[in-house]
Amino acid sequence: MSETAIESLFDPKIVYVSSGTTRQEVFEEVSNDLVAKGYVKDTFLDNLNSREDAYPTGMDLSVVGSQYPNVAIPHTEANFVYKRRIVPVKLENPIEFHNMIEPSKTMSVRFLFMILNNDPEGQANVLAEIMDFLTQTPWDRLSHMFESDSAEEIYNFLRDNFDEK
Amino acid sequence: MIKMLTACGAGVNSSHQIKDAVETEMKNRGYDVSVNAQMIKDVNPDMMKGVQIFLPINHPDLGFDISIPEIDAGAILYRMPAMAKPVYDKIEEEIKKIQ
Repeated sequence: MSETAIESLFDPKIVYVSSGTTRQEVFEEVSNDLVAKGYVKDTFLDNLNSREDAYPTGMDLSVVGSQYPNVAIPHTEANFVYKRRIVPVKLENPIEFHNMIEPSKTMSVRFLFMILNNDPEGQANVLAEIMDFLTQTPWDRLSHMFESDSAEEIYNFLRDNFDEK
Repeated sequence: MIKMLTACGAGVNSSHQIKDAVETEMKNRGYDVSVNAQMIKDVNPDMMKGVQIFLPINHPDLGFDISIPEIDAGAILYRMPAMAKPVYDKIEEEIKKIQ
């Protein structure tokens, strides 16, 4: 890996397993930690919530396979974050999100790939890489990540299986 | 050169993915296109000047009417050829009408 040139999109310090029961609760828990660790500005949470309300980010993965849990890719505008990272958040309780492609529809989500992106023009597209990972990793492997309740295991899986361009 | 515009909520991820995908696919199909990726809240009538096809993720409320073809491009985000192809075909259809 060429990590000396390009920083990895994943960071073991910001992988979460959340027991929150509402979207607001999970967003707040993760945002507070990201602010404390210096990854995002303290206005991150407000923008995250207002953006999710206006432009939802739920991705219905049943089109990939009926066994796939749905995910969401919450994110803010570029100027609310300091780094380019993917923040994985396993949800112990399913949480309702609206569908990005059909916002009037809701879905039950089990995993977040929160995107911190301060450089939309740079490098490969982060969302495209997430979708490639989800649609191209064989389900018998990917299912281990979705089933895990350990942040360390989730990080290790992503480090070993997520192809960073 | 066919000019298109795409837009999403944050102008960071989805719109840039659509821009990259549509530019690449249309080039492969032999068309000279350019796609501008923007935040929906920044899209105004001035920005739309000269744009020939609008490629939103889902029919967004821009606060003004547009008279150019609008094609929902959200299905491209899945990065699955079977989902993206119908969108590319619709775009190609509109390009042919323009040319």
